[in-house]
Amino acid sequence: MKRTVSLSIICLILMQSVLSQIINKEPLSSRQTYYRIDAKLDPEAKTVTGKMEAYWVNKSTDIVPDIQLHMYMNAFKNNKSTFNKGVGLNLADKKIDFGWIDIKSFEDGKGNDLLGHMTFISPDDNNPDDQTVIKIVTEKSTKPGDTVFIVVQFETKLPQGSFRTGFADDYFFVAQWFPKFGVYEPAGMRYAVNGGWNCHQFHRNSEFYSNHSVYDVKITVPVDYVTGSGGMLINEVTDADGKNKTLTYRAEDIVDFAWTTWPGYAVFTDEWNHVKITLLLPHIREEQVERQFLAVKNALEYLTKNVGPFPWPHLTFVDPPTKGSFAGGMEYTTLFTSASADKLPGFIHLPEMVTVHEFGHAYFMGILASNEFEEPWLDEGVNSFWEERIMDHYWGENSGLIDHPLLKIADKSMSRTSYLGSPNRQLITNREYSWNYPQGTYSMMSYNKAATILYTLMGIIGEETTNEVFREYYRRWAFRHPSGKDFINVVNEVVTKIHGDKFGPDMNWFFDQTLFGTGLVDFKVNRYYNSKIRDFKGIISEADSHRFVAAVTKDDTIYKSTVELSRPGDIVLPVDVLVHFDNGDSIMERWDGKERFKDFTYTGTRQIEWVQIDPEYKIRMDANFVNNSMTDNPDRVPIRRYTNKFIIFMQYFINFISL
Amino acid sequence: MNILTHLKSGAVRSLKAWKGVLVIWILIFSLVSLIAFPLKSGLKSLIGSSMITELLYDSINADVITDMSKGLASLIPAITSGFLLVFFLGFIMNAFLTGGLFSILGNKNSKPSLALFFAGGAANFWSFILITILTAVMILLTASIVGGISFAIVSAAGSGTSAPGATGKVIRIALIVVALLLPILILVADFARAWQVANNEKKPFKAIGIGFSTTFGTFLKSYPLMVIVMVVQSGFGALVMSKLLSLKPSTGGGVFLLFIGSQVLFIIRIMLRAWRYGCVTSIMESPSPCFQRSM
Repeated sequence: MKRTVSLSIICLILMQSVLSQIINKEPLSSRQTYYRIDAKLDPEAKTVTGKMEAYWVNKSTDIVPDIQLHMYMNAFKNNKSTFNKGVGLNLADKKIDFGWIDIKSFEDGKGNDLLGHMTFISPDDNNPDDQTVIKIVTEKSTKPGDTVFIVVQFETKLPQGSFRTGFADDYFFVAQWFPKFGVYEPAGMRYAVNGGWNCHQFHRNSEFYSNHSVYDVKITVPVDYVTGSGGMLINEVTDADGKNKTLTYRAEDIVDFAWTTWPGYAVFTDEWNHVKITLLLPHIREEQVERQFLAVKNALEYLTKNVGPFPWPHLTFVDPPTKGSFAGGMEYTTLFTSASADKLPGFIHLPEMVTVHEFGHAYFMGILASNEFEEPWLDEGVNSFWEERIMDHYWGENSGLIDHPLLKIADKSMSRTSYLGSPNRQLITNREYSWNYPQGTYSMMSYNKAATILYTLMGIIGEETTNEVFREYYRRWAFRHPSGKDFINVVNEVVTKIHGDKFGPDMNWFFDQTLFGTGLVDFKVNRYYNSKIRDFKGIISEADSHRFVAAVTKDDTIYKSTVELSRPGDIVLPVDVLVHFDNGDSIMERWDGKERFKDFTYTGTRQIEWVQIDPEYKIRMDANFVNNSMTDNPDRVPIRRYTNKFIIFMQYFINFISL
Repeated sequence: MNILTHLKSGAVRSLKAWKGVLVIWILIFSLVSLIAFPLKSGLKSLIGSSMITELLYDSINADVITDMSKGLASLIPAITSGFLLVFFLGFIMNAFLTGGLFSILGNKNSKPSLALFFAGGAANFWSFILITILTAVMILLTASIVGGISFAIVSAAGSGTSAPGATGKVIRIALIVVALLLPILILVADFARAWQVANNEKKPFKAIGIGFSTTFGTFLKSYPLMVIVMVVQSGFGALVMSKLLSLKPSTGGGVFLLFIGSQVLFIIRIMLRAWRYGCVTSIMESPSPCFQRSM
């Protein structure tokens, strides 16, 4: 009885804790889940032991008999886990330090032991060896509005650095480390037909789908370790013996909590408007601090302007050292990791690109918490689209990724190149769950094709309309769980509001062909020609005779000029066509692309000099820009220039090898 | 004779050898053309009458490369085999041309003629090839040993965090060591070739031995001289490569000027090579105990 009373008091305290606001004045989300964790790192044993007090509120109208939680560290437990099967791990070849999570005790808010009610389930593949999801049947089913409290003692053994979590010597990046609630989806939410838990296993190509939560986390580490996390540091206390210190963090309305600790970190801080930014990186990379802060501030500025505000006043990001590179390029909303190298020339914008990308996930997955397991394009593709826009906006339209006098590469080119350069570009659509993409197509489809699709959409509806789409998407779905169809609905509404029926009653035709289709876009100029229109020349039959009539040549010869276009690609898109004449006139035509071919004919004294389909290269899904234009006088200057430089290079090379 | 005198003597000799320099330029240009102009034609045919070249003005464009990837893939085997052919022929041809150049740089040839150039090239051909190969092997071995030692030091240091930047320092030190040893090996090769031409002997191994003895016999004079010459050569090469390759003329006239300018600069580069050979020949011909012994 006494124990029940004390646990009830704990539950009340937990409720109070989540209701109190420390970081923002108002809660940003509906907060269905809450976590209070007291964790301690043992750097020698590579373990984190912890006690977690957490709850889930049933905000549906369903009576829910169970709860489901992720136990993702078990993905690294053996070679039979679904994750390791996906990786194709061959344990015979390597010495591997495994990782796992053990539940020591599991009680509900009344002190009932639920350990016996706990079973591992594999909702995705029925793999009996996978232990990354647990189901606990509660003592009583949870009624609408009720709360399930749990108190869990756990021990997490960190794996040797692998897939963004684990350790390398004294370096630790601690992610996917505690039992975390799945998302309960009532009927009608996203694609749910019936109410149920959406709690996927840990796969090779999957990351997040969680409720926005409040986290109060205490972390105890050796006193000389430098620590960073997704929370705001509230307190730091050194133990009486001076060996360890305990850091208390608070995070509000984020979807996951991760942290890192390493004695070798240098810490830098900066500010952008209301956001205090903390950067942790190895001392050897201190010369990259300015680059990193510039990147994150540019991303903050661009996304705030074109999507919506970044609501948290704190942000921490990490550039892991070389030995901790396994942790690079990952996002936990208010904590993310970049990636770099110790000596990286300034013209290679790799750290900036990774920083912009991972920060962008604070919006696309963090704030707009889509289901990355089921719709990876809505997370990675949308975020890649914004990353590329930001990189090319701030670092140069043609040099967002590499900016060297000899070589410039736009960031947006990388997505198009990866998508169109892939031999598997037409294997599958973007409807698949993340682990179902075959033959290594996950990244190409989820990141690259999706980003190229969005660029093409922007090319059709315009940049400002695109920005307005995302602003509306943010206004409507921030701190909720949007699906792909919700995003498309926003596109349809915003586009018809701004452009009326210019593109039809909606934009479904676009997404059906591109996102949910496997066709290619390709437009082609077949030819153009200018033929003189001559006066009549020939025989005229009269009553009983024939008469020859000669043509009269005029100075102002009239031409019939014709452009012949075709659409070898399957996808039907509207496209601009620019026709240029020898007198300097230009006509911009609009081709709806519906037919497989299209002719434009002009009559007059002018002759066509050149023709360009999509002259601004806005339809970035076009599989071949080379056949988009035609002229009688192709400009060979760049070819001659490159040949010249090749000759120079070869001459000096031959001179060099001759000693 | 001091270093300055040898540098001056080398410069005069190289200027006198202008005909040989021009022959070397013509032959290298012709060789490179074997691959460059077919490549140009291939690119022109891939692009056809498209206006896509407007995307290539600023830099190589990833979108264009992607779109031409199928066509480029068909060009790659031709480019690769062409490159290997040019590399192989260039190596052989240079052995011949270097023989010719050394032959007309000697002081006894008051009038360096093309006949002497070609005759010298033919006479020393096989021996020069062997000397060049042996020198290249020595350079590679030296670089491998220094690189191996550096790698061992870095590996032994482990992956701890105690010495940030230690790897970079080791690599920098290794590069400096190789840079300091390189002039010695180049001197050995140059002295070997100069000795062979001067003595009309076709004994490459003996020549290499004499190259070593002459290098160390005249070390205080020849090493600083070689360092000066190599710094000038490398500086010139780096400057030309960085500046010329980053120039972006946007008109046909501009491209033609770039072509002319780059060829003039390459002729100067060959002249600098001749200067190096001339300096070494000058030291070889100067009365020194070491040289007399080897003679």
